[in-house]
Amino acid sequence: MDEGIDYEGTARITLRAVVIGLLTPAVATVIAYPVAPTRPAISIAVFLLAVVIAAVAGGLWGGLIAAIIASTVRPLVVAEPQLSFRLDDVEDIATGVVFLSVALVVGLLVGQASEDRARASRREREARFLGTLSSTLHTREVPDRVLDEFAEVLLEPFALSRVAIEATLDGTDLRAVARADGDVAGGPRTSVRLLNGDASIGTLVAERPAGGRPFSRDDQLLLEAATRQATAALDRARLDARARIAQLDAETNQLRAAMFSSVTHDLRTPLASIKAGVTSLLDTSVQHDPGQERDLLTTILEETDRLNRLVGNLLDLARIRAGALTPTRQPASMDEIVEVVLARMRPRLSGHTVGVDLPPEPPDVSVDPVQIDQVLTNLLENAGRHAPAGTEIRVSVLWRHGSVQVRVADEGPGIPLEDRDRVFEAFYRGSSIPETPGSGLGLAIAKAVVVAHGGRIWVEDAPAGGCVLAFEIPAEEAFA
Amino acid sequence: MNRVLVVDDEPQIRRALRTSLEAHGYEVQTVGTGEEAVVGAAETAPELMLLDLGLPDLDGTEVIRRVRGFTELPIIVLSVRDGQHDKVAALDAGADDYVTKPFAMEELLARARAAMRRAQPGEPPAPAMRYGSLEVDLGRRLVTLDGEPLRLTPTEYQLLEAFVTNPGKLLTHQWLLRKVWGQGYGTETTYLRTYVRALRKKLGDDAQAPELIVTEPGVGYRWVAEGADDGS
Repeated sequence: MDEGIDYEGTARITLRAVVIGLLTPAVATVIAYPVAPTRPAISIAVFLLAVVIAAVAGGLWGGLIAAIIASTVRPLVVAEPQLSFRLDDVEDIATGVVFLSVALVVGLLVGQASEDRARASRREREARFLGTLSSTLHTREVPDRVLDEFAEVLLEPFALSRVAIEATLDGTDLRAVARADGDVAGGPRTSVRLLNGDASIGTLVAERPAGGRPFSRDDQLLLEAATRQATAALDRARLDARARIAQLDAETNQLRAAMFSSVTHDLRTPLASIKAGVTSLLDTSVQHDPGQERDLLTTILEETDRLNRLVGNLLDLARIRAGALTPTRQPASMDEIVEVVLARMRPRLSGHTVGVDLPPEPPDVSVDPVQIDQVLTNLLENAGRHAPAGTEIRVSVLWRHGSVQVRVADEGPGIPLEDRDRVFEAFYRGSSIPETPGSGLGLAIAKAVVVAHGGRIWVEDAPAGGCVLAFEIPAEEAFA
Repeated sequence: MNRVLVVDDEPQIRRALRTSLEAHGYEVQTVGTGEEAVVGAAETAPELMLLDLGLPDLDGTEVIRRVRGFTELPIIVLSVRDGQHDKVAALDAGADDYVTKPFAMEELLARARAAMRRAQPGEPPAPAMRYGSLEVDLGRRLVTLDGEPLRLTPTEYQLLEAFVTNPGKLLTHQWLLRKVWGQGYGTETTYLRTYVRALRKKLGDDAQAPELIVTEPGVGYRWVAEGADDGS
């Protein structure tokens, strides 16, 4: 709607109508002058034609002006001698009346037709505008965004300087304001109610720049139609938001169920081993040899460590859920973190070959070293669990486009494409390997930490088979 | 016999610690509150305090502060809190070491022995100590590796001195910065890391399998090598 919506009345007298009204009789005079005295009928026909042309081209006013001039000039042209004035002839008066009638009829018909045409094209533009509006607004998922967008798209088609919308939805007050650049406010203004059924849920106030056109009835009607569309979109967005909350609740419940079964299993299993071991050692009715005793004690120790790790993970998860996972950033070097983690993890990765690629002089990053330590620990634990003994686990640190990237590549079975996003969900253990010893929390915690640092974490295929778990933390975030 | 004051509000932990410590020949006194801990530290003059941070009356860090008001007795914090804030706060308040629950008894005993050894009065530190192929002679300001003298910058030397004179102790970033660079420092951990890296390199310590300096992420460093009196 580049040309805007124009509602100019066709019956208005315009410069164009005046020019045409003057010009056509002038041309007719020039044509009729040589033949008029001998063939008055032809001269009448020529002037009549001029009046018709003027009415067609210049509308009602063009026709009327031409008719008046033609009826005045024609008797002068046909007079004997030419240009002597005599207006007493009944014939001349009748001709004048005919000219005026023709101009009136043709002018009105032409005006009607052009008005119809203008109205049709306006309706078409309005329909297109409302259609676009509807599809634009319905893609907005949040009520606030619907209103913002709505306010914004009204500016140009209605030539507005400012739109302000206020609405109350489900007890929440929403507000949207849009302003056109550079326009001075203070021109004509109008307002439209936002109706949901019969109930008013808010008001839209539209304002044109100072000196702008006043709002016509058509403007008002179109604005109301657009507002009805926006209200419908608003209502749909509200229902969508409700549906999303319901879905989130369902997911939370599912997560809770998974958590209960996982926690029950993972907490009780080591406890069972510990209790079995201890009661066996306390049992005075049997005599364990030193080897058996040591086995039992080793089991107790290992299961205690496992339990401790699980509790740590659950605590972290609880912190994440409570939104308490705020990184305590300090300047740290990624290679130092890698070295510390590897030093600690070596005993548990003793079945694997561990390779490291570190850049020679890595710049510092501002991260929470304890949290990033844990991310890497969890990635290495995951690799150690899934990759068969004797294979290589390789840790690399690289700088790429102002981000530090840490990659843990293993030669394990890899992760199927469909599982790649889900591996970072809590309590997800992979569809292909249901009974792995992990708690299903390590990668979820890793993801939460990386995201809290403004970074991302993902799965890739490793060139040598297996997979790469990689995370990246932007340096600009890192130094923020 | 070494007297140990155990401060923990959990009777099970008190019993477990008492049993294990007594089996290793320590004399054990146990209390359950912060007030009792401060009074116990003053009246019975123990040689070591094992302190839980989560006490019913006073916060453990406050207990450390009060005890430090009148004695330099070694304090090892035993806590389920494993965040760097808690560790740094307790260490900066004056704790000597920090052990996270659950812990292995042998580790706690090793830390306890190191802390009590550091606190031993009178006996001057041996002028020269040997850590494997590394020899540090503080008297002559001489450091050799495999018999070859090492050229250390003055800062590197001061850092090494801070480490070897506090063996086994968890030294916070802030403590090391103030000790080596001076009182005005405390947050410039980047300097510290650069020098620790350089020192490790010169001493031939592998950060991925450290035998001399262990990094405690977000907290500080610990000199872990067991020194032998060089005797020469």
